[in-house]
Amino acid sequence: MAEMSHIERVMAGLTNAKGDRLSTYPIACGVNRKLVNGGVSYRDWAHDPKLYAQAFIEGQKAFDFDFAIGLMDLSVMAGDLGAGVRFDKENTPFVEKTLVNSPEDYEKFKVPDIKKGRSHVILEGTKQFCDVLKTQVITAGFLEGPLLALSQSAGAERLFMDMFTNPSAVHKALKTMTEYDVEMVKGFGKTGCAGLCWDYLWGNYSCLGDKEYNEFEGCKKYAGDLNELTGKEGMALAIHNCADLPHLDTQITAFKPAIYSMAYYPLIPGSPSATETIEKGYCDNCLVGGQIDPQLFIRASVEKITQVTKDLCQEVKTALCKRGLGSRYIIASGCEVPPDLHTKMENIKAVVDTTKQYGIVDW
Amino acid sequence: MKVSQIAGFLGSGKTTAVMKIVDELMKRGHRMAIVVNDVGEINVDAKFIESHGLKAKEIAGGCICCQIAGTFSETLAKLHDSYNPEIVIVEPSGVAIPWGLKRAAEYSEAKTDMVIEHAPVITLVDATRVDLLVKAVKRLVETQIREADVCFVNKVDTAPPADIAKTEQMIREINPRAEISHMSSETGLGIKYACDLIENRISPRYDEAVEEELLRKQYGGK
Repeated sequence: MAEMSHIERVMAGLTNAKGDRLSTYPIACGVNRKLVNGGVSYRDWAHDPKLYAQAFIEGQKAFDFDFAIGLMDLSVMAGDLGAGVRFDKENTPFVEKTLVNSPEDYEKFKVPDIKKGRSHVILEGTKQFCDVLKTQVITAGFLEGPLLALSQSAGAERLFMDMFTNPSAVHKALKTMTEYDVEMVKGFGKTGCAGLCWDYLWGNYSCLGDKEYNEFEGCKKYAGDLNELTGKEGMALAIHNCADLPHLDTQITAFKPAIYSMAYYPLIPGSPSATETIEKGYCDNCLVGGQIDPQLFIRASVEKITQVTKDLCQEVKTALCKRGLGSRYIIASGCEVPPDLHTKMENIKAVVDTTKQYGIVDW
Repeated sequence: MKVSQIAGFLGSGKTTAVMKIVDELMKRGHRMAIVVNDVGEINVDAKFIESHGLKAKEIAGGCICCQIAGTFSETLAKLHDSYNPEIVIVEPSGVAIPWGLKRAAEYSEAKTDMVIEHAPVITLVDATRVDLLVKAVKRLVETQIREADVCFVNKVDTAPPADIAKTEQMIREINPRAEISHMSSETGLGIKYACDLIENRISPRYDEAVEEELLRKQYGGK
């Protein structure tokens, strides 16, 4: 089969049509800042739409991905809601001062002006990289789901306890988070990105059962309406969840995303491997991506990550073939490639190049 | 450098226990550091740290497989290079997973010239709120207990005997291999024993060999 363009390849995966090979996307976002102007700091990258966009453009030149997905970090919304975010020069920004000290504080959240702050940076930066890359690859924005945004703003431990002791207060805050997300979805809809990737991290059986997840995120008024709005705004629905025990029946079967990104934890009983995910039918109607251990991008040699990628390609192709599926899988990292100064850029290239060689599908 | 994780859900008496354990270990002559998570909630007493000449660093909420792992390993490497503590007490958030932090701690070996040892993973379980914890955050508490080497039933000075017994039973059901002991971080009961454990015992490293074997079976590769 002739080599396809990036977009043709992903479209084949999405529609279960014949594709030349498996698609690939090590989720390289913050780490690509090292390719901009000889290397810019995380702090600068996370505040400047031009630098933010340029990292994805340079990443595409260097690695030849099939996707560009604009993940910045998980403190964007919390910061614009008023939480204290610490910006080290080179570490991922993180919330160091949360906003909830009593149940009443859940009612004090207000949707911020998305034309300001880092909400603006991520929207404008996404627009800028989409302007350049949208004719080459499948582009997507990245947005924190309401429960993740609230956990970042309130503190996860506190939130989990309050979900039981003060559920009505938590729901009031989730309503505000959802309204904030609505504004952001509309903003992403104007950037020209092909898809929007939601981070629904707490859909994890290590933390929440089906009933609790449904009440606090999975139900129609939160994720349901946001997923629907994503489509209405002209973007394909994508979901990222790097949890150890993800709620696949809710997040894949019920939410029906076009793309689902997940991780694999071999030492956690029940954590679904690529084969199990395919065998259980989760790839039947969804292009699933995963599950290379992100830490290998720091720790492994090129030889080791090449072998892991090669083996994953073979595993996935075998499982897809048994299931009657063709190239409906993305060879990807289970979570973001660590945006660490020690991350080996050559390992990102090794994953892409190995997939090009060993991800070819025989028809 | 020995890393000692002291886990426990919000309100378990963890911060009080950590401060008393650090105080006792310093009296025993150890150079100490503390790494805390979600600093806004835990309220490490800055004066305590200053007055004791401790070094405190923070890690923050995020995702252990990518963002926290890098930050945490960097924190440990910097602590080693700047202060070289013998024991680092890690007070993770109630939503952190102990094995993930063990693994991330070992990553710091690639960043500087040191070897990480792990003290037994200690989990504090609040006997006065066992029913509430089981109802509200059952899965998270189960994860912390399942991954512990030693579980301390905390607040035994105020908890009714029936609740202490119920807490012990819950721990045994979730993690039969965990040692169970009692603590009152307020009265100091159990603090010296916790220090003995941290000083003298070793918990296994994150088992990459096991993971590699599982991956090998999974992927059928070398």
